[in-house]
Amino acid sequence: MGRPGLNRRQLITGLGGAAVAGSFGFAALGSGADALASSAATRVRYWNLFSGGDGYNMIAMLDVFRKEHPDIDVKDSTLQWGSPFYTKLAMAAAGNRAPDLGVMHLGRVTGFSPGRLLDSWDVGLLAKYGVKEADFNPALWKRAVIDGKLYALPLDIHVQLCFYRKDVLGRAGLLGDDGRIVPVTSPDEWFDVLRKAKKATKKGLQTIGMWASDQNFQWWFFVAFYTQLGGTWFDAANSDVTFDTDKATQVLEFMRRHITDGYSDPGFAGGAGAEQFVNGSPFCWEGNWSVPVFSGAKVEYGATPLPPVFGKPATHAESHAFVLPHQSGRGGDTNEGAHRLAAYVVRHAQQWAAGGHIPAYTPTLSTAAYQQLSPQNEYASAMDHQATEPKVWFAGSTGILAQRVGPIVVSSTLGSAKPEAAARGMKGMLTELLASKNPMDGRTAAQAGAAA
Amino acid sequence: MTTTTPQAVLAPARAKSAADSAPARRKQGLQHGGWFVAPFLVLFALFVIWPLLRGIYLSFTDANISGDGAGFIGLDNYREALHDQLMWDALGHSAYFTLLVVPCITVLAFLLAMLAHHIERAQWLWRLCFFIPFLLPSTVAGNLWQWLFNPGSGMVNHVFGLDTPWLTDKSYAMLAVVLTTLWWTVGFSFLLYLAALQGIPAHLYEAAKLDGANAWHRMVHITLPLLRNITGLVIALQILASLQVFDQAVVMQDFGPGPEGATRTFVQYTLEEGFTSYRVGYASAISIIFFVIIAAVALARMWLLRNREEGGR
Repeated sequence: MGRPGLNRRQLITGLGGAAVAGSFGFAALGSGADALASSAATRVRYWNLFSGGDGYNMIAMLDVFRKEHPDIDVKDSTLQWGSPFYTKLAMAAAGNRAPDLGVMHLGRVTGFSPGRLLDSWDVGLLAKYGVKEADFNPALWKRAVIDGKLYALPLDIHVQLCFYRKDVLGRAGLLGDDGRIVPVTSPDEWFDVLRKAKKATKKGLQTIGMWASDQNFQWWFFVAFYTQLGGTWFDAANSDVTFDTDKATQVLEFMRRHITDGYSDPGFAGGAGAEQFVNGSPFCWEGNWSVPVFSGAKVEYGATPLPPVFGKPATHAESHAFVLPHQSGRGGDTNEGAHRLAAYVVRHAQQWAAGGHIPAYTPTLSTAAYQQLSPQNEYASAMDHQATEPKVWFAGSTGILAQRVGPIVVSSTLGSAKPEAAARGMKGMLTELLASKNPMDGRTAAQAGAAA
Repeated sequence: MTTTTPQAVLAPARAKSAADSAPARRKQGLQHGGWFVAPFLVLFALFVIWPLLRGIYLSFTDANISGDGAGFIGLDNYREALHDQLMWDALGHSAYFTLLVVPCITVLAFLLAMLAHHIERAQWLWRLCFFIPFLLPSTVAGNLWQWLFNPGSGMVNHVFGLDTPWLTDKSYAMLAVVLTTLWWTVGFSFLLYLAALQGIPAHLYEAAKLDGANAWHRMVHITLPLLRNITGLVIALQILASLQVFDQAVVMQDFGPGPEGATRTFVQYTLEEGFTSYRVGYASAISIIFFVIIAAVALARMWLLRNREEGGR
């Protein structure tokens, strides 16, 4: 081929190269446009996991913030809840492409390598924007502190509730003068309430929905009742399992009895419990996020924390908290903007409370607007009676602990394992988990315990 | 030379090119063909070969999800996996699913194909009906059947007058996934069978009829033997697909592992280890183990088939 210049192959290669280069060009253009848009303001990139009704409330709160703070450009992204969210957040933080602000479940923070994947909050900066420790439940704040530094700013707590239908309970004579369910303080009283409610219930409906086949809910309920009994998980150094199998057996027997006594139908063990409740079943144990669902269904209902059948009131609580994903160059206006945005949302969580969550910022709880919210006003006291998972790396919402121990609770509730055997199984699993190493830093809970 | 016909000139040339330029042509083909294959090869290398090699490497490390600070730990992951009861349980669930699905789907697909093949009227309608569920995304199929299996308002219990806790009892949960899968994917195997049935020459049946063979004899001695290859294909494809069961199971259980972990499949367990427990190294190790198991099944099938064919000869 003596011909100089372009042959066909070179032309094709060239065109292909141009196409590839072009696509990169577009990509560059895309980020360029972003940069242009943000040049007028401090841009805060914010990742959250709120979809559905929660997502709608969050977006509405962000819109108000934008209106009041035109100098801050909030670029929010909603990602899929659960493992995909944490995966993206971890990879972004490790790869130094993290957003300026994120949301996590508080229980997952300990296992998320605070200090390496998460940056700590500047408490002074938060105070500048009106958020200080005194405005939070002390136990909740303490859970957000690791190594003496604040790694999470709680937005809410979300708790497990006992929803009850006022129409059915009224017929059964189980409502007090205030129109709320009569107080219950022991398992016998509780089953007496169920017995009376069952008589007033339409045929074909179970008395109580309790997610008997769901590992997360069953685990959350267990945590609540086990905490009511004063049960503990590990010693202070996180080196020994202090799990009390006798107490656990008591709780498991209590939960199992709902099925053996015919109050909860294993056939309606899952989400069908909520449908039954809407159709006239008197009770269901559910997360507070069901408040908008039941209110929307025009059910005449109330909601209390899980009944304090073992004496001390306590119900399971997790918390949505703002976090600062690790950025090597964190600081400056963007970081301050993130503090400002988080502080604002935490302080203006009235709309958030409408979704059922209890605002973590306690001054909100005493406002007239909050106290008018029903049934929120009936369970806001749960803030002071939180039953939480132990503060170890494998805990937290839908984390490894729930995934491993939850099925054991289910096996007891559904009757495929005896409560004592299940309690022993739980202890064995806790022992195994305590000895295992956090894949994020290669340390066991005890090795990290000194730090936490 | 000038008097030679063009044919005479061409003939030796042709002979020559056939004799000694085959490697040259192959080389040339590689040169040109290579470019055509290149786009595919690049993607294949990027998304299959590289992840596979990387996965093998990661399986010897304690890598976590954040991607930094991974250390080489030799065979520790594999050693741990051998004693990991949850992994064996998950493998058992996937195997159980496969054992139920493969024979059912093969027989059902065959019967449906026979039905659609022999029904004279509105054949297109039958074909469409049997095949259309296969076109649904797994999430749609899973959600649909989650509703059908709903204990209170679901159609399954209602129509059959049952009181079965399909999705919440560990002895039924996997069965529910199996039934869903049958409905959802039988259309594919059905289509393979139908095509094969239509490919059997009509004169074979005609000849058999003339010889006095009844319908049963024609099926046993003509249809079934001629469908042997397609049956082998259907079974092979189903085994490989069924072992990898994942999406419909998690959708039906709201992304959980089902009651007492009854529908936690191997793929789901790998996902949990990698993305909930953040143990990418360990998740890589168990997926390599799974890869080896699936490869062994595929090879065993090939080996059996070859033996049978050789035995038949």
